[in-house]
Amino acid sequence: MFPSWRVPLCIQHIPSGRIWRGFVGTLLIGLLWGLSITPLLADENPTRSSASIQPYLDQVMDEVSEFRLDNGMKFIVLERHKAPVVSFLIYADVGGANEPTGQTGVAHYLEHLAFKGTKRIGTTNYQQEKPLLERMDQLFEQIQAAEKQGKSEQVSQLVAEFETVQTEASKFVKPNEFSQIVERAGGVGLNAATSTDSTVYFYSLPANKLELWMSLESERFLEPVFREFFKEKQVILEERRLRTDNSPVGQMIENFTAEAFKVHPYGRPVIGYVEDLKTLDRDNVEDFFESYYVPNNLTVAIVGDVYPTQVKQLAQTYFGRYTAKPEPPKIQLVEPPQQETREVTMKLPSQPWYFEGYHRPALSHPDHVIYETIASILSNGRTSRLYQTLVEDQQVALAAEGFSGYPGDKYPNLILFYALTAPGHSVEEVAVALRNQIEKLKTEPVSQTELEQVKTQARANLLRSLDSNMGMAFALLEYEVKTGNWMNLFKQLDAISKITPADIQRVAQETFRPENRTIGKLLSQES
Amino acid sequence: MQAQAKFNLRKSKRSLFGLLFATMLLIITWRSPAVASTAKHYTELDFPPLPEIQLPEYTRYQLDNGIIVYLMEDRELPLIGGTALFHTGSRYEPADQVGLASLTGEVMRTGGTADHTADELNQILEQKAAAVETGIGTTAGSAGFSALSEDLEEVFGLFAEVVQEPVFDAQKLELAKTQEKGGIARRNDSPERIAGREFQKLIYGKDSPYARTVEYQTLNNIQREDLVEFYQKYFHPKNMILGISGDFETDKMKALIAEKFGTWKPARTLEIPPEPNTNQVHQGGIYFINQPQLTQSYIEMGHIGGERNNPDYPELMVLNGVLNGFGGRLFNQIRTYQGLAYTVYGIWNANYDYPGVFIAGGQTRSDATVDFLKAVQTELSRVQREPVKPEELSYAKESTLNSFIFNFESPDQTLSRLMLYEFYDYPQDFIFDYQRQVEATTIEDIQRVAQKYLKLDKIVTLVVGNEAEIQPPLSTLDSETKITAIDISIPEPS
Repeated sequence: MFPSWRVPLCIQHIPSGRIWRGFVGTLLIGLLWGLSITPLLADENPTRSSASIQPYLDQVMDEVSEFRLDNGMKFIVLERHKAPVVSFLIYADVGGANEPTGQTGVAHYLEHLAFKGTKRIGTTNYQQEKPLLERMDQLFEQIQAAEKQGKSEQVSQLVAEFETVQTEASKFVKPNEFSQIVERAGGVGLNAATSTDSTVYFYSLPANKLELWMSLESERFLEPVFREFFKEKQVILEERRLRTDNSPVGQMIENFTAEAFKVHPYGRPVIGYVEDLKTLDRDNVEDFFESYYVPNNLTVAIVGDVYPTQVKQLAQTYFGRYTAKPEPPKIQLVEPPQQETREVTMKLPSQPWYFEGYHRPALSHPDHVIYETIASILSNGRTSRLYQTLVEDQQVALAAEGFSGYPGDKYPNLILFYALTAPGHSVEEVAVALRNQIEKLKTEPVSQTELEQVKTQARANLLRSLDSNMGMAFALLEYEVKTGNWMNLFKQLDAISKITPADIQRVAQETFRPENRTIGKLLSQES
Repeated sequence: MQAQAKFNLRKSKRSLFGLLFATMLLIITWRSPAVASTAKHYTELDFPPLPEIQLPEYTRYQLDNGIIVYLMEDRELPLIGGTALFHTGSRYEPADQVGLASLTGEVMRTGGTADHTADELNQILEQKAAAVETGIGTTAGSAGFSALSEDLEEVFGLFAEVVQEPVFDAQKLELAKTQEKGGIARRNDSPERIAGREFQKLIYGKDSPYARTVEYQTLNNIQREDLVEFYQKYFHPKNMILGISGDFETDKMKALIAEKFGTWKPARTLEIPPEPNTNQVHQGGIYFINQPQLTQSYIEMGHIGGERNNPDYPELMVLNGVLNGFGGRLFNQIRTYQGLAYTVYGIWNANYDYPGVFIAGGQTRSDATVDFLKAVQTELSRVQREPVKPEELSYAKESTLNSFIFNFESPDQTLSRLMLYEFYDYPQDFIFDYQRQVEATTIEDIQRVAQKYLKLDKIVTLVVGNEAEIQPPLSTLDSETKITAIDISIPEPS
């Protein structure tokens, strides 16, 4: 790409959160694609702009087609012929929340390993490489056993042998060959991300490379080889240090989330706990892959300069090679209703932050749009209530907002508020000011003007998001997988149009109760 | 804010035709053998050529008062967006008023206009899902708007007010200052931000307009009158390039622009100061910032780079490609093979009109700090010493050339590029020259530019990390180089 060289692409476990005035940086880990996917809204009694926007949305809906292969794999295609480029997204309906206890981080680990190639890509000779990989697995197991028994001499002997075999195996590796093929072909935006709910793999190609994508991506999950397993573990540990251990907000969020979810796996970090990461082996990843990367658990979106009949034909040829498998296990754990306010306080070398979260139902719940509307009224723009009061009038916070869907939204989750204290003000002052605004939603109906603004903005946001091939790929799949139909991306607009001030008051009263609240305080530890 | 824009099919028949034709070809070539629907390995695939790049049509003209205008119709969606650029920037603010440019850029919008208070402005715009925003960066000021096309007149009117008659409300200035002060208080909360900021100071100098930072004292020196004066100096029709794209008719848009901007009379004559001088202040050396809470070291190392109009710029970008990206040497060696980092890079950066920085770095666990530094140095010296392999060269070139089409994905990319080239006085076809030169780059070119532009003896190294945990210590790197500690405590106002 031209013209700028940025810090190179990183395979990440989450897309970064929001930037606050350019200096707070990455925050709310797990906020997946929050921007264009919160769109929402159409209107039953069309105002001027809803009438003028709707035909454009209808037209886009007409250009979406879908098909399912015999093995259960689903494809959604949006034709856009304005430029000869295509965006591709594979969405595996599995994330951190699906991990077995003691194996946190395995979903994200698998995502990294999915860049290591196949039996034919990433190796000079798989037949010779394979026994070495297996030997490393055995040695790793023996090292762990010896460590447990405290046999340090045996450990160092095994480690030495392990190093030798690893060096031997690395001679067969063509490092990052998979990614290089994509980049050489003109692929841009190559990356992947793991959240609590999903694992996504994506990039865009010039339109003449459709079949290349079919070939590479079908091979990628047909016969993956999780080579360089132990070196990648070091990379992932570095990633954890970067995002969590050396970030005060990262540490705070990890503890806060664990406090808010005592039973449901949403309480665990997607990146994984260090002690779990250290003991994960290749079998764990293979097992996880076998269970969850099955055709009926994978959905694909292709958006751009393609023709659906051709896509379908190629998809059958390439992805039809996958064998149908049983449905993956579903998460049975349910977070019991919270009984009392919980609180986490941490003192770290950082200026203070305040967090406050309330449990709310999943994305598929009819009240979802009401929660989105509440978040929008409180947080969206300079006229939003939190900005007006906490930031502008009282000046107790530098930034204050709330958003739904933390840490995921497939299962019941949190509406999470956070604020950064302004100089000379405490988290206690911020907490009082924030609470006043939240309480007000329970006691006073919101104005029609505020509600109308949310509706207009949601429509316009969806309209603006049509511009991006990759953005549309993400939006269509979020709704397809989590609500059962991509059309809900557009139809949610109808649901929002029906929201009344009374709905907002009802949901606020149900949700913003002391016993449903988790508080997080990150306080300055003066060094 | 970028202008919203789409390919206008009705207006560019040639390109539509080209596309259709190419697409038909694709279908034919794929369908005939496709009967034998067998899956192929990627090496067995052939690809039809892409259609030639077609530039969207646009109009460029100048108003009598000097404003240069670019208009690009794009009727796909009912949206319109525009951006105005002005020569100004924080590099022109007085040294004892660092922050003045940024505050001016912010309060110009947040403070309201002669006809609309800040609150009115916010309400009207947000109720229409529209936006008007302004800002001043290092080398430029910008003002932008975005609106549904049905709201164009009203939103464009507000945009014109913000550009021509901002009132710089004193209370909104106080709010902006509070925010800046909050930023100062929080600037040491992230090791990455510490490293990024302090490294720029080491290269350009702590007082350089390209590295200096806003302080409590410099904020206290800034009054409302200073903002008004700074604004008046630079926001001037002769200093404005305006680009608009979206769902409009060019003639009607011209009339609207004439109505809203044609009578703009500036308060004073325009004077753009010369660009500040730029030299690397430290020639080599190791600098350290101790952060005992860390388990990782945050490393930046490098020296001053150059500008985009450097004749070797395309070759240098190919060199960047050899070193970086998923298949680049640094990623392959330091991340994938040695497992030393999640992020690692080495990039020769260029700016449009002042020298950028060659910067390498990443982050690694504390006890691997010396290994990481050595590994980066090894790769940098290797690319100077040995010719790159043909497949490395082709990887870097093909990645750029095959993805070239993504520079033309939507018309507004072309519009912003044309505006930037005019703004910084670059040739209009700069990007195509660049493409040709990338295509022509050879193995010898890579070695030549690596030797000429990477100055290993001038590399300044900065480590932000935990001194007690960095084992072996930094002193083992080079016994002759003294390690200089940097104090990052935040000065109180005097």
